[in-house]
Amino acid sequence: MNNVEEKDNNYHYVRIDEKLCNGCVLCMKACPTQAIRVLDDGVAHIQGTCIECGNCIRACPRGAITSVTAGKDALKMSKYHIVPVTSALYAQFGEDVMPNDILLAMRKAFDFVYDQSYTQELFNVATGLYINEQRSKDDAHWPLISPMCPVVNRLIAFRFPSLLKHILPFATPLEIVCREGKKWLSKKYECNPEDIKVFSVTACPAQMMAFNETLSGEISRIDGAIGINEIYDLIKSDIHEVQEPDEHIVLNYLSGVGIGWAMSGGEVAGLDVGRHLAVSGIKTTIRYLQSMEMGLLKDIDYVELRACREGCIGGAFSVTDKYAAKNSLNKLIRIFGSEKRVNFSYAKKLYREGWFDTTRKLVPLSSKSSHLSIHEGIKRAEDIETLLKTLPRKECGVCGCPDCRTFAEDVVDGMTSIDKCIFMRH
Amino acid sequence: MKKEYEIKAKDFVRAGKASIGVQSILKNIGFQQDIIRRICICAYESEMNVVMHGADGTLSLNVGDKEIVLEVKDCGKGIEDIEMALKEGYSTASEEHRDMGFGAGMGLPNIKKNSDNFEITSQKGNGTHLKMVFRVNGNRE
Repeated sequence: MNNVEEKDNNYHYVRIDEKLCNGCVLCMKACPTQAIRVLDDGVAHIQGTCIECGNCIRACPRGAITSVTAGKDALKMSKYHIVPVTSALYAQFGEDVMPNDILLAMRKAFDFVYDQSYTQELFNVATGLYINEQRSKDDAHWPLISPMCPVVNRLIAFRFPSLLKHILPFATPLEIVCREGKKWLSKKYECNPEDIKVFSVTACPAQMMAFNETLSGEISRIDGAIGINEIYDLIKSDIHEVQEPDEHIVLNYLSGVGIGWAMSGGEVAGLDVGRHLAVSGIKTTIRYLQSMEMGLLKDIDYVELRACREGCIGGAFSVTDKYAAKNSLNKLIRIFGSEKRVNFSYAKKLYREGWFDTTRKLVPLSSKSSHLSIHEGIKRAEDIETLLKTLPRKECGVCGCPDCRTFAEDVVDGMTSIDKCIFMRH
Repeated sequence: MKKEYEIKAKDFVRAGKASIGVQSILKNIGFQQDIIRRICICAYESEMNVVMHGADGTLSLNVGDKEIVLEVKDCGKGIEDIEMALKEGYSTASEEHRDMGFGAGMGLPNIKKNSDNFEITSQKGNGTHLKMVFRVNGNRE
């Protein structure tokens, strides 16, 4: 499906197939933002703020839930395109297939393939410089939060807006690769940077959303995402066909540092400065964000938060199991070594020149009560608490809401009625 | 609206649950980020004081549209020297609690700093009662 035009903030890319859905409660229960309801038509619907984490896709036993991507056909509509990849892709084909073989195999389907690991290393250096700079300031916000995970960014905008100022104000390596790739190809083909399209090959269903966060018209945004699962066979069948590397593969320096980034802990492993934490999995991430909002963890400089367990290799579009993928990447790291390939003073120069400046625009997302006054908000909260006391707290989901609290909220908001609860009917 | 939470002494597994409850209620109502942040810091610090030093206690939240009142009571051993306890860096936390990352002696000073009005009454052997008041300024942002 082709879906690359601009969308508003409430737009989401997750789709539930009504024919395949049997109205069970599994996706609804798995949703960390309570955004799914099973309605009277007997199927699940997305009604609240979806953060595109992919938990529902993973939870559905019937394969009824998918996420819209640009699809591999999107490439046909652009004259020139460039495809950035991360090591999440290298982890998919078993431990004996090398990144070079994968990139060469991709050359059949894609014009230009761009490995991100060099940019990721540069990003590590710049992060260290920024941390050192912020230390001398009184009004710095600790800990800083990695801007890498689009699901985490959206979660913060929706549930923890006071922490938005903790997000490192840098363009992500993907944004930078988009910008630099478009500049480079437009020079080569003597065309406008806008004529070059960037489609990221990714394990992440939220990457389609990532371009919503950058200002429209900016060249640092991706034009769409293609799921690894969509092109897995295509790449797999071409691996090990003998091909010579050419200029169409942008592989600056592949290093163990960049390869590690697709795993939880990989980003901070390349960070030489300060104290850090790496947290993965949406539930644990929420717990850490709650702690940060209570003023904890101030002694930590940088927190790497990833919505998927084990990091990007755990993404919903990943074909290989995350633990097998982790094994493959660890082997690659041993082969490529964990020493840095970037030149520190060059990275520093880029940092001073604003190379890492972002056009990303993260704003608080509105909640269900934002249209109410404080007085009305308190009344609503009182009504919810009163109703909640009468509910059975079995958390069964038969009413079509994920839990009793959400049911109470929906009843008070007039979205559902009390007789939907089978315990209250008797 | 009113809401009361029980706090169990020495229960480090459930510690923080009351503060998270307070956090989510205030967010659902739609208060400004800054006042929620200040209340959460105070709720967490005082909840952890009970978990560490007190016998069991309660945390109660009373939300009005002019002010929000947070009260934390415990029936623990009380504070001998309140003036000392309010000094930054002063702590009577045990070695064990310090190993867990608590006991920096910033708890009460932090509460004082982040609340608009703060009362503490305590008698040796008779527990501690904290009352924190937060004024609600204007509407949401």
